[in-house]
Amino acid sequence: MPDPVHLDAPSLQKFLDGTEPDRHGTVVSFRPVSGGYSRLTAITTVTWGDGTDEAMVLRADPPPGSGIFHSDRDAEWHFLRAMHGRAPVRTARPRYYDATGEYFGAKCIAVEFFAGRPLPELAKSGASGAVDRAREIFVDTAAKIHSTPIDVLPPDMARPPDWSTYIDELVEFLRTIDDSVSDSNPALHYAAAQLKEHRPPPVPLTLVHGDFQPANLLVADWADWADWADWADWADWIDGSGGDPLVIDWEFARIGDPREDLGYYSQLKLPPNLYETDPDGFLARYREHTGLTEEQINRDTIEYFYLLGMARLLGQLIHAADDLYRGNPRGVMATYLFNAISDAMHRFFDIARRLAS
Amino acid sequence: MLSRPTTEQILLDCCRELMEGVLPALSDETAQVRVIMLDAVLKNTAVRAAHEIAWMLDETAAIDDYVHAVRAAVPGDEAVRSAAEALAAAPRHDLHLDAVVEAYCVAGKAFSAALEAAVTGRLPDLVARGEQLLEQRRDREIEVMAGWSSTGR
Repeated sequence: MPDPVHLDAPSLQKFLDGTEPDRHGTVVSFRPVSGGYSRLTAITTVTWGDGTDEAMVLRADPPPGSGIFHSDRDAEWHFLRAMHGRAPVRTARPRYYDATGEYFGAKCIAVEFFAGRPLPELAKSGASGAVDRAREIFVDTAAKIHSTPIDVLPPDMARPPDWSTYIDELVEFLRTIDDSVSDSNPALHYAAAQLKEHRPPPVPLTLVHGDFQPANLLVADWADWADWADWADWADWIDGSGGDPLVIDWEFARIGDPREDLGYYSQLKLPPNLYETDPDGFLARYREHTGLTEEQINRDTIEYFYLLGMARLLGQLIHAADDLYRGNPRGVMATYLFNAISDAMHRFFDIARRLAS
Repeated sequence: MLSRPTTEQILLDCCRELMEGVLPALSDETAQVRVIMLDAVLKNTAVRAAHEIAWMLDETAAIDDYVHAVRAAVPGDEAVRSAAEALAAAPRHDLHLDAVVEAYCVAGKAFSAALEAAVTGRLPDLVARGEQLLEQRRDREIEVMAGWSSTGR
């Protein structure tokens, strides 16, 4: 049976011919990008009839029934269109959308290519102060995301009525993740019960990225970082010429508690973890940029929101595992990630017990 | 049936074959990653094959005791009562894997209900006892993970 999804150069060529017939575009390069847990991705270059080149990134849904993390391409497209040029944080310019899958066999978004490198490369560059500078960029970007005016966001993005209701619903979501699956996860119930008993102080609800990690920040590919003696020049360049990093992978964006983004990242074990290497400096800088208090932003509240920031993705992992039990395997990646469920459960248990003590 | 080599040994031999015989012959990066993932999955499965029935029977018995203790402390808790009754009705003397898993899952749901009742009822001794059971479950899961470590999305 042929693959129903065909994210390839001929499909893109048909798409361009069908949607931009007057511009006479030709696909001159097309490179699938491996990796990623949820979407099919490719980088392409198109030469238009007037001789100009345009590089784009394409993101398509995987074939039905495959993949681990599900998200809504329509919502992502509306989000990207709403955000570009209107938010305090830099996002990719949306270019095209195959909203029906007519051309690619699946819904597919095309955005402008950004010549940048993921922030972890900067952190690992070996340059003096690289980790500290990467942390500053990461924290400052978080603060900018969380200062995005709500009215910029698409009108169909869910607006929780208030912080208390939102947290109650999220804790209840966590508690009931395994209600509809065949296995049980007692640590989830223990964690949810402890979260309910030990709520942190509220903060204003904001835009939440939903997968906030340095790999989703692309820093402009400007120089050979490793050769720099210090970061002062680069910082001046960033501050002076609008060289903010580009934030990508908004598929899980929502309105929620901004600490979900910080908590989610705090436990990510990809070195160097910019939180773990200096949690107090990380949090102090975030407080400075957002005006939130130490009572609202501290190590305990960040741990609390690790559990809630992970809740949705953990739910998707658990449901992917259950699908295999029910005879609908999602591919070896889903099976491989059984361990990620166990790993998350162990952290949930440890953190919930620590928060309660 | 042939019993030696054990299922664990057979699966670990498959891992060796995949990593030493198949992986070096692959040039496709995606296929290489898949083989590495399969190796990890098979290693997890080998540990399970060696111990899972004994572990589940052991844990189910311990959960049974715990759920009874919580039920005695919060007799009006409907969720604990119904979960305890379901556990009492679960198959307990059949050693076929499906039956053991069925009883273990029922026990897990009863354990979840009892843990919630202990925390929300602020019963420190029962919370601590439940935490000990969770520790035991965690330690065994770590053994099943066979050295796996998280790498993020």
